[in-house]
Amino acid sequence: MTLVASFDWNFIWEHIPDFWTGLKATLKVAAIGIGGSLAIGIVLGAARAHRIPVLNWVAAVYVEVIRNTPILVQIFFIAGGLTQIPGHPIRLEPFTIAWLSVMIWGGAYNTENFRAGFEAVPWRYREAGLALGFSRIATFANVTLPIGARIALPSSINTYVSVLKNTSLLTAIGFAELTDTAYSLESQSFKPSEVYLALGATYLLVVWTLSALVRLVERRLAIPEAR
Amino acid sequence: MVGHSSGAALAEPEHTTAPVVRLEDVHKSFGDNVVLDGIDLTVNAGQALVIIGPSGSGKSTLLRCVNLLEPVDSGRIFFEGEEITGKGTKVPAVRQRIGIVFQQFNLFPHLRAIDNLTLAARRVGKIPRKEAEQRAQELLERVGLVDKARSYPHQLSGGQQQRIAIARALMMRPHVMLFDEVTSALDPELVGEVLVVMRDLARDGMTMLVVTHEMQFARDVGDQLIFMDEGKIVEQGDPADILDRPKAERTRRFLRRTLQLADSLEELTIEEGGVE
Repeated sequence: MTLVASFDWNFIWEHIPDFWTGLKATLKVAAIGIGGSLAIGIVLGAARAHRIPVLNWVAAVYVEVIRNTPILVQIFFIAGGLTQIPGHPIRLEPFTIAWLSVMIWGGAYNTENFRAGFEAVPWRYREAGLALGFSRIATFANVTLPIGARIALPSSINTYVSVLKNTSLLTAIGFAELTDTAYSLESQSFKPSEVYLALGATYLLVVWTLSALVRLVERRLAIPEAR
Repeated sequence: MVGHSSGAALAEPEHTTAPVVRLEDVHKSFGDNVVLDGIDLTVNAGQALVIIGPSGSGKSTLLRCVNLLEPVDSGRIFFEGEEITGKGTKVPAVRQRIGIVFQQFNLFPHLRAIDNLTLAARRVGKIPRKEAEQRAQELLERVGLVDKARSYPHQLSGGQQQRIAIARALMMRPHVMLFDEVTSALDPELVGEVLVVMRDLARDGMTMLVVTHEMQFARDVGDQLIFMDEGKIVEQGDPADILDRPKAERTRRFLRRTLQLADSLEELTIEEGGVE
């Protein structure tokens, strides 16, 4: 209680604008990361589930590499590992590195989520689609995708939440998102308790809101079944 | 583009001299297992062909070959005079004109009954939603389920689901309907409602290929009956003739086992009643 009593609440209050700036960067990166990982998941998940030549193998290697290396290493690699390619050094803006790395990470997990979802769609539904005159691609779009994406929804929600939380690791490359903002504030003010409590509370609120929102979507989209 | 008037008629038979479906020496194997062994068959416009036979005799595969869900190994299949087993065949276009109803209904679980009906019409047929829903309502009325338009499949009985599946297949205005043991997964008291819909369809002049174990239906509705065994057509002709006076020994054995030819179970021995 002495900790709370000695808290400089005013400090947090004064720096709300800073937190807000950091939070905006976090949300922007997370939104792009989530949107991108959704697109990657659908395309590569379909390639895996339907054994589309070449793309299937590319997707398999991609998933294994991302899932078996730490995301921090991936961030460092995208930020620095590409700058030494002889002749074609790739130097990316911090913002680009930020959304690219969380998108690539989330995309790999989402590829697996959607692969499992598409594979769980019973063949007889796809057959019914084909029999109605849908082409193979149209059968995917109209039958496999809507049913499989619903099956994949609970696990892909976990991935989106992780993408949002993983943006905090971007502080490692000095990208000014929420955690990095807090870290700077702390090193200037020497008020770690105040800063990190405020930081944790902000994440809790934001992540909890995201989870609640997507669970609402999940309930609305769930395949109706007899209970 | 044939017959796209928006009338309520279920069947719109083609005015053509060519048979609707014709199979010419069709062979099909799954690995070493020969499923279709030289099938020749002709179904004319407005005819209801009933296919009976023991399980594994190739009945379902025959239907699935006709709408190209299974490729044939050799032989040719003609649909309204055009070969559809050739290389350049536009498969989705052929399938739009061939309706099929499955044993397991296969309604899309995430869609309401009305949307199950209109999905393909809207997305493949490019029919505006309003027009598609109007036709769907007419078809739901024909199968007696107009009040279930907003229900999801899981809220319907098996018989209701199967009638929705029939209506769904009719949405695309097919020129022939294939029925693959559509009452086999139903509780006994739900069989009748589905068979009545099929009977009415046949009376309206729809060309039909019906794989079934319902001998009463075969007798009442079938114009032609074939008995299949081990991938071959063993016997072919008028349904009542075959069911009452089969010529082939294999047909007789099958019909005795299904109790069509035996007056009571007492007539059968265990060897005769069992599976070989």
